[in-house]
Amino acid sequence: MQNHHQLQSAANKLPVAVCVVAACFALSGCVTATVQQVRETTTSMTTDDAIVVMGRRNRPSQSESELDFVDCVARNVAAGEDGVQVITEQQFVDAMFPWFEPRTAPLNTNELPELLKQPVLAERLREIGLKYLVWLEGNTRRTAQSGSMSCSLTPGGGGCFGFLTWEKDSSYEASIWDAHSAKTAGRVSSDAAGTSYMPALVVPIPIIARVQSQACTSLAGQLKQFVQSGS
Amino acid sequence: MNSTSIHQSLFFLAICLSLAGCAGTKVLEVDANRFPVPLMSQNAVSLGVLLDDDIRSFVHKETIEKKGSWEVVLGPVQQTLFTNLSTGVFESFEFVNTTSAPHLDGVLKPTIKEVQFSLPSQTRSNYYEVWIRYDFELFDREGGQVGQWSLPAYGKANKNNFGSKSVGLQEAALAACRDAMAFFSINFAKEPAVYKWLTAGKPLMPKAPPQEAEEDAQEDAESEPTSTTPTTGTTT
Repeated sequence: MQNHHQLQSAANKLPVAVCVVAACFALSGCVTATVQQVRETTTSMTTDDAIVVMGRRNRPSQSESELDFVDCVARNVAAGEDGVQVITEQQFVDAMFPWFEPRTAPLNTNELPELLKQPVLAERLREIGLKYLVWLEGNTRRTAQSGSMSCSLTPGGGGCFGFLTWEKDSSYEASIWDAHSAKTAGRVSSDAAGTSYMPALVVPIPIIARVQSQACTSLAGQLKQFVQSGS
Repeated sequence: MNSTSIHQSLFFLAICLSLAGCAGTKVLEVDANRFPVPLMSQNAVSLGVLLDDDIRSFVHKETIEKKGSWEVVLGPVQQTLFTNLSTGVFESFEFVNTTSAPHLDGVLKPTIKEVQFSLPSQTRSNYYEVWIRYDFELFDREGGQVGQWSLPAYGKANKNNFGSKSVGLQEAALAACRDAMAFFSINFAKEPAVYKWLTAGKPLMPKAPPQEAEEDAQEDAESEPTSTTPTTGTTT
């Protein structure tokens, strides 16, 4: 009988627990994002054309883009009805080896014509249909944090008490190179900032500002528009 | 044995096992499937590649205070690395066991001279870093030395991209190997000694006649008498 009451009580608590978990996922902090672009040449893409999104890795740098951010931008540029064909960074670097390794990759468009003079390279670029090369620089950083939280575990149960808050700032810039004309087509930058909170009254409730994700979506959306048409 | 003592024994065993895990050597192996064939115009040369036992079994061992012991295993991937590298860079190649190969133009002998690595906590940066110094010797088809040169390679991996130290260092080691391949393929024909040899039609290198070599050795011995006197040990 006692067991039956315990089971019923647990069953009553289950929807509440599910609601709390769902609310935690639904809660998210505010993010402000800004996207800017500078166009230097006209752009266009056909269905056979492809782009590659790559991170700059020529030297140890505080502004090296995260691999997951580069992947995120590539996935978002390829997604949707208006998505464009994207070659993954690793596929491209391997296909063009050794010319796009950290120590050998061209640092600016002036170096492209010399590279493309080599027939085997020009031929490989034609094979993979590369039209635009997008170089990403920048990253996401935690710029401020405050508050405190303490958690304890006792034989009678446990819990956390306190309040934490932190700010994150994303700043990325994409340089778009035209692989056919060997000129810079333009630049797109994306900045996003947001504050996350975590109040805890027994259970910590994270309210996360998805700063990097917002920067990725904004940048990818703008890049897609930029390369597809524009003058 | 009662249940309390069993629990205590298990707890003690768990502590011992976790401590052993912390103190164990981390062995890092490079993924040989990630060495592409260089895309370039092949050099008109047919070379033998000599990978001796030292390079085939090369392991760099290092102990870092408070960070444990590490082994970077580079030897087993050298065969794949030089197969892919040679496929792209030379018109033809084969692996050989000696420095002379009369049916080829010459023989290339690579050696790993030095490996270093650093963790982000050591350099206060975001990077796992690996340095590899290769030494290359090129011989003509009869074993005469054409030239030798060093090739320093560097690889890094951002700690923000990799969850564990082992994976980060593995990625940095792979990047260093790829850097060596990249630098070698672009610069092989530009190495002064190689360039001279290739443009001269891959000739046999002049060798010092044995008689002269003996005379030289005698002269050296006479001019530096102290060097022949053993400073330690005994002579018969």
